[in-house]
Order: sequence, then structure tokens, then C-alpha cells
Amino acid sequence: MIAREMFEAFKAKFGPLIERADMPSDRRLFVYVDRSAVQFVCQHVFRELDARYVATIGTDDRPFSGKFLVAHNFAFDKDHVLCSVLTQLPENDPKIDSITKMVPAASWAEREMRDLLGIEPVGHQYMKRLVLPDGWPEGHHPLRKDVPWNEVPENYNPDSEFTFDEAPAGCTVVPFGPFHPTLDEPAHFRLYVEGEMVRGCEYRGFMVHRGIEKLAESVMSYNDIPMLAERICGICGCVHSVAYVQAVEEAAALKVPPRAEYIRTIMLELERLHSHLLWVGLACHIVGFDTLFMQSFRIREPIMWIAEKISGNRKTYAICLVGGVRRDITHEIKAELRLVLDKLEAEWRAVVSAVSQDRNIQKRTCGVGVADKSLVKSVGLLGPVARSAGVEIDCRRDHPYAAYDRVEFDVITAQSADVWGRLIVRMNEVFESIRIIRQCLDKMEDGPLQLEIKDELPVGRMGLSSVEAPRGESHHFVITGENNRPRRWRVRAPTYQNLQGVPMMIKDQQIADMTISLGSIDPCFSCTDRLETVDLRSGTTKVWSQKQLLELTWKKTREETKTK
Amino acid sequence: MSLLSKLEETLICLKAGRVTLPYPAQARPLPENFRGRPIFDATKCIGCAGCANNCPAREILVFDVCQEIRILQYLGRRCTYCGRCADVCPEKAITMSQEFENATNRIADLGQKLDIFMSTCQRCGRCFKGAAALEELKMKGYRSDDIQNERWIYRAHAFLESEPAVDDIPIELD
Amino acid sequence: MDGSVIWRIVGGVLNVGVVLLIAPLGQGVLRKVTARVQSRQGPPLLQPYFDLLKLLGKEDIESGETPAMQRFAAYLSLSTVLAVACLVPMGFVTPMNGAADIILLIYLLTLCSICTLLAGLAAGSTYSLIGASREMMSMITLEPLLAIALIVGAVHTGSFRLDTVLNGSVYQVAGFPWSGLIMLAVMVLSFQAFVQRVPFDISEAETELMEGPLMEYSGPKLALFKYALMAKLVVYSALFVRMFVPWGSEFTFPLAGPVFWVMFWAKVFIVVLLVTLVAATHARYRIDQAIRFFAGLCAVALGALVLASYGF
Repeated sequence: MIAREMFEAFKAKFGPLIERADMPSDRRLFVYVDRSAVQFVCQHVFRELDARYVATIGTDDRPFSGKFLVAHNFAFDKDHVLCSVLTQLPENDPKIDSITKMVPAASWAEREMRDLLGIEPVGHQYMKRLVLPDGWPEGHHPLRKDVPWNEVPENYNPDSEFTFDEAPAGCTVVPFGPFHPTLDEPAHFRLYVEGEMVRGCEYRGFMVHRGIEKLAESVMSYNDIPMLAERICGICGCVHSVAYVQAVEEAAALKVPPRAEYIRTIMLELERLHSHLLWVGLACHIVGFDTLFMQSFRIREPIMWIAEKISGNRKTYAICLVGGVRRDITHEIKAELRLVLDKLEAEWRAVVSAVSQDRNIQKRTCGVGVADKSLVKSVGLLGPVARSAGVEIDCRRDHPYAAYDRVEFDVITAQSADVWGRLIVRMNEVFESIRIIRQCLDKMEDGPLQLEIKDELPVGRMGLSSVEAPRGESHHFVITGENNRPRRWRVRAPTYQNLQGVPMMIKDQQIADMTISLGSIDPCFSCTDRLETVDLRSGTTKVWSQKQLLELTWKKTREETKTK
Repeated sequence: MSLLSKLEETLICLKAGRVTLPYPAQARPLPENFRGRPIFDATKCIGCAGCANNCPAREILVFDVCQEIRILQYLGRRCTYCGRCADVCPEKAITMSQEFENATNRIADLGQKLDIFMSTCQRCGRCFKGAAALEELKMKGYRSDDIQNERWIYRAHAFLESEPAVDDIPIELD
Repeated sequence: MDGSVIWRIVGGVLNVGVVLLIAPLGQGVLRKVTARVQSRQGPPLLQPYFDLLKLLGKEDIESGETPAMQRFAAYLSLSTVLAVACLVPMGFVTPMNGAADIILLIYLLTLCSICTLLAGLAAGSTYSLIGASREMMSMITLEPLLAIALIVGAVHTGSFRLDTVLNGSVYQVAGFPWSGLIMLAVMVLSFQAFVQRVPFDISEAETELMEGPLMEYSGPKLALFKYALMAKLVVYSALFVRMFVPWGSEFTFPLAGPVFWVMFWAKVFIVVLLVTLVAATHARYRIDQAIRFFAGLCAVALGALVLASYGF
């Protein structure tokens, strides 16, 4: 049992620092350590054992155990184990040593923990607000259990302006966002530009923070949440709903019927298909090649139609529930799906062969947005961004879920670590997805679609689930709770990690390459921002109205050019 | 060579022809199990409020006017068209229609209201779920061998006639 | 006075009128063909007319740093293009034949580009300044190409007159027209930049710069710029046809050559089609890649000029 062996190794190394360990299966390891040992253990795991950093989660566990809980999740891809290093913090002193110095990838997660829960990471070098707006008063932490989900603090000042860092000397400031025609979603990159070269940037995001995690903990129930999880992202909805139900199923030790697993796999791969095709089109649009944009979308459309046939909607499939799926894939749909896949493969091969020789696109994408292996490791980049640098990580193979352990597929990598590499990786992953769907259609067994769950789910159990979204690994953490809802639900979308690498990717590149570099991580800001916010229906309708955001952008632009 | 790839790309484009669909000039055929607007059939509804309990968006509200009258209101504003209400309805009173062109500038257009007369037990006078819609019809308005019941019914009438009171159902739940 | 003045006026009005009438149609053809290449239906052919009418009817908002200069830049852009139109023979003798020569033509063409520069600088916002700087950089390497082409023609024919130079003069040598063919290749490779289309529409890259220099323009001023852009396509194509493929549309005194007139516009239409196809099948280049490309072309063009001076 691999997890047990790992635990024995930990015990041998750290001895008394480990308080307790849970091994619910041979692929999951939950190790409880003492507060003082967190930095030491995480460093060992990240550096010496060469694990991959996944997420950091803070939980307000005071109503149940009287303490705060912090979990640092790591992944041992080669051993197929997900490991969580947990610490309990006393309620009057929620402080923990920051691990960002050793694990730079944890930077945002710790800032978020501080904003939303008040758990202070001691020693974090860049302790600025990440999630909450600047006008939010100190001491009011929305994700704490004593704060109601729809409360707006009285001294909240919606008109306070964001304080930016100082620009380095000699640089003009070019604001990129929150309103920009290329970005479909709001994000603000404050570029420090010298001539045409970008010397640095500051990122301000979390403008579409919707309060999903707090809603799930307060007012929703286990089977309502997949519908909510689907709407975390505009493209990878199915991924989040599958990841959530898998985490709950793991926590409650439920075994999903095999037919449901195959159906989930098919829907996930369909989603990957339409996401990659969309991305290729978008990347070409960003570099000004609108024709390929139109063609990708034309080739992609039949997938949306078949998804509509299967699930009733083009994108929000609403097909997952805890314990199974809601709809079946009938024989007619299978036959039609095969036809769609054949046609798609033929057309896509033609496009790939044309684009691979296209020097015009290569000129715009080679050498741009470089993220090499060391950056991938330290910042924890995921998905095609990591695979384009030659790092072979793929949750479908490393931490198999649904029916992926029963199908064969290759993990596509490139070596160039730039936007061109990502383009090649995504284009070829389309063929692997088609291969997986075909195998699923062949191997699908008959059987029930849904597990009959007669009793209430057990309380206080933890479940982890890593699902390979088109953008990378999407990681969900669930602690089951009372009243038919989870006690804690944490969503860590892949763009959350990838965005942290963007400032390094665009450094010393030109402004013109900014958009394509950002676009190459396939950003999904709604995935990233999904965390806690307040339902402002009782107060004003929105934090920032679009008009206010626009005015702010224009005002800042004019200010900047006036002071230039 | 780049020129060759450009020619290949142009060929792909020209082979595809024109793919613009004539929507909205022509309606687009939808698949059978398309999840459009849910339509509530009041004649089949037994007032169990299973839909209201399972709606992820909390868009179905239940208001018990009195012992026998239950008002189910589907507000339709935040409805995500997930179809859970249709799944859990024991009487199959909710169908996911094929209506998706639901844009309107009057929010009341989206709502559906069902006034359900709940059957009462002859012995104890409390409500129970009728076995079938037909039985519900039989008992509607004709049970008055109980002065208490009669009074409730009359009161319910008066209440229902003053429409605004019923429309002012506050939205905030929980 | 004598007929020549009347002819100048009538001819000028005719040239300008035809360009104004046809320019939006040229844009319409461009959009329709692009759409068909992209498997779409595309807007109606007459859509640009409606677009211009719509823009002209909007409120004239003053935004940007120097509104007076912005207005001036807008007026200047359309007027310079129309002035160039008067200088190019479009199927008949150019109205400005004796009054102007190719040096003025070169100046006016450069002035066209400077208008975008003025627009960007006058607007003063970050993105428009970046766009203006890009326009400036590309102008420095791009304008010489056309100038050298005209001068090669002048060297061959020994005169600066418009009707002499703009009549396929680059090929008019005793032996094989080396310099002419080199200049033809150079112009073909850089034509997209003159008419500001992909792959060289760098200063107005929508996805990168939010329209660049034109960002602060709206309403009637934007209509003027858009019109100038559409007219540029037609006028540059006319110039290209007159310099490099003039056969079959020799100009004679008006009314005696309607066939030549029709042939001329057919050739312009073909040039517009080719511009569209190249624009639809290419990605946009970056400014440094574009400048390197044009600088290389400049060197080649200078080589052609040297050959021309030696009689090749």
C-alpha cells in the first residue's frame, strides 16, 4: 500500500512532529502535524520528495473542533498519491508559518486564506489583499462560520480605490484591463512598460468573485451543488461538477456504478474537445488570424449539438449528481456521436497539418510566453502550460478517476515551453480525446445510472479529487457536514496557479505579446475568482457596476498619461 | 513552406462553404430532451413542494395560505433550467419545454403560479396528499361538514381575491 | 479661360467623386469575400455606406487631450487621400497633369500616414500613443518603398510628370526590366502595409491595442477616418495598377476610351480581391518583425534604384 509506505517514511523522518494520519485508501494520505513543523514538513515534501504543490486550504472548524484547520495539499504524480499536510490552529491565535518562500506556488492561496478566514501566514513577503476589495473593513472575514452569507459590513466603502504598487523607475504604466477587447472576463494587469518591452506587471483580479463556496456551506445541499459547480466556469463546467461529486463520493465512500463512470468520462472528454477547439480559434484571433478562428468554431459546432442531444444543453450539462449521472447515452446517440467524431477527426487533421507548417503563426508564437521547467515546478503551473515545457503531468493518468483507468491514451508533450508548444499540445490532445471517447463507447457496460443512497452521508469526512480540466488540474476538497450540505468546499481551478506564472512569462517581452502569452494559459477568470463574496442583493446590486469599472479605467489612464 | 500551408488553409475554408444558419428567420429544430423553460401543470400537481426543496436556485416558493390552500410560485428569474424539479416531481407535473427564447422586459412574464387546493382528511381535517389528481377534483370546495373548515374556506376566498397580498410574497428565504 | 482649366475642375471632381462613391463598395467587397473565406454569410455589399451614415449621425463627443487637433487630423486624413486621388490617372488623363508632379504625390502619400500619427498623438491616451509610435516606426521604413518605386520610374523616363511616370514607367528600359520587376516584387510584398490590412495593420491592432490611434474617436470624426481608410484602399490600388500593370487601360482624352476606363477599374477590383485574400489568410506580425521586413525590402529597393540608374 503506497500511502502506508509513504506514511512510514514520514514517521521515520519526522517522528513526534506528526500527530495523526488518515489513510482512507492507498492513494490518499492525510497527515496531521504540529503547527511548528509545517514549514519543515512542506519543504521536505516539496523539495526532497519532489512532490507537486496542489493547493492550500483554510477551514473554520471552530463549531466542531474549536480550532482552525489549514491543509497543504501535494501530489505525488508518479506514485499516484494525493497527500494533505494538515495543521490545527487555536482559535485565539490563527497564525501559521508561511510556506511561500519554499513553495512560491502557495503565494495566492495564503493571501486568500488571510483575506477570507483571517488565518495569518507569518513571513509572507507580499501580504496584499487578493480577494476582498480594498474598502472592506479589517477583521470581517466572510468565510468564517459566524459570518452570515449575505452580510455586508456597515463600514464597507464601495468607492475606495485600489492602491497600486510603485512603478519601477523609467517605466510607463500601461493598464491592461479590466476592460479590454481580448479578455472576455475582467482582470487587471498593470504593465510596467519601457518602450515596447514589458518589464514587470501587477495583477489585480477577483472581480467576479461570486461567493460560491460560502453559498455551498450555508444554503445549498449536496445535490444542489453540482448545478452551482457547473457554473463556476464558462467552459469547464462539467469538470467542476464531476470533481465535486467525486470528492463527496470519496469522503462518503460511495461506489459509483460503472456505466455512470463511462458517461462522466465521455462528457468530460467532449468538454475537452470543445474547449481546445475554442482555444485554438481564440489564439488565432488574438494574433489577428480571424479565418482560423472562424474555422475552428465551425468545426467545433457539431460537438455542441451532440452535447445538447445528450444532456439538454450545449454547455451546462447538469448531468452529475452525487452517486451517478442523470441521463443515459442511448444507442442512437452513440451512433450519432461516432459519426460526429469521425467527421471532426478528418477536418481537424487537415487543420493541424496546415497550421503546423504555417510560418506566419509560428513567427508570432515561437519564443513567446516562455515558462520553462523550473518555473513550472516552483509556481506549480499545470495543464498544457506544463506539458509544453516537457513536464509530463496529467491527472487522468496520474490520479485516475471515472473510467480513465480502463482506457488507453497518450500524454502529449512538447519541448519548446512557449505559446507554439501549447498550441501543438492542445491541437494534438484533441485526437487523444477522440480516441478516449471511442474506447468508452465500445467498452460501456449496461447497468444503473445512479447509486441508491438510502442513508444520510457521514459527517466530518474529507475527500480530495483532482480532475484534468482542459486547462490543467482542477482540485476540489470537501469536508462533509450536517444538514445535507458540506462543511467546507474548496475549489482550486487550474487558472489559479497558471495566472501566478503570467508575470514571469511576460517579463522582457513586447506588449504585443502580452495578450497571446496571457491567452496561452487559456485563462478562465471565473474559475479563478469563484470564492467567497457577499450576496449584495440586500445592499446594492453589484460591487462595481460596469460603468464604474469603465470610468475607473479611463480615469486611471488619463491620470497616468497626465503624470507621464 | 508557409505559402503551401496558407493554400491548404484556404482550401479548408472554401471546401466548407457557407455555414451560417438562417436563425432567427427560420426556427432551429431542437433535440427531444432539450432543457428549456419548465412548465408547471396545476392539474397534476399535488402540492408536495418537492420541486421547491430541490431547486438549486431557490426559485420555487411555497406559501401556505391556510390549511387547504397552497400556493406554489415559480419565479423564473434565476432559473438555471437544470430540470431537477422535473426529475423529483412524483406526478410528472413539470415538463422541461423547448422554450428558450425567454427574453422579456417584464419579469412577471417568466413566473408561473399554481394555486393548489390540498385535500383534507375527513376525520382529522388536516391535509394529506391526494392519490391522484382526479380525487383532488372531487373534493374541491365541497367539503363543508365542518364549521371550522367552512370558515377557513371562506377566509381563503377573501384572501385570494385581494390579489396584491398574495403577490407580495417576500423573496428572502432561510 | 481655355478648356484645360475646365478640364482640371471637371476631372478633379470626377476623380474625387468616383473614389468617394466606390471606396465603401471596395470595403464591402473586402468584408464579403473575407466572410466567404471564413465560411460565413458576411454583411451586405452596401453595408459600409450604412456604417458611414450611422457614424455621421452620431453625437460628436470630445474626448482625448487635444480635441482641436483631433478634429484637424480627421479632416486632414480624408482630404489628403482625395488630393492623391486627383493626382492619379484613373482611366483618363489626370486632371493635375501640368500642375503637379510625382514629388508632390510622394509628399501627399506621406501626409496620409502622418494623419494617423497626429490622431494618436492628439488623443493622448496610453494605447493611442503606443499606436502612434508604432505608426511612426513603420512609416519610416515603409514610405521610402513607394517613393523609390516612383523615382525608379522617373529615372527611366527622365521626367517627373504624372502621366509619364504613372504609366508603367518602371518597365521602360531598353533591355530586360530588372529594376521594374524587383520593384514589382517589393511592392507586392509590402502592399498590405500601405492599405493597413493584416498582416501589417499593426498600428490599429484591435486585439492588442484597442484600435490604437483611433481609440478616442467616435461619431463623425471616426466616419472621416474610416472613409479615408476605405478611400486609401482604392487609391493605392489605382496607383499600383497605374504603375505596374497599366496595359489595356491606356488613358486617352475622356469619353474616347470608356473601354480603357472599365478595364482600369476591373484591374483595381482584382487588386482589392487579392488584398482581401491575403488579409484573410494571414496572422498579424509584430512591429519589430514588420520593421525588419521592411528594412530588408528597402535595401532591395535601393539596389533596384542603383540598377535603374545604370539603365537596367
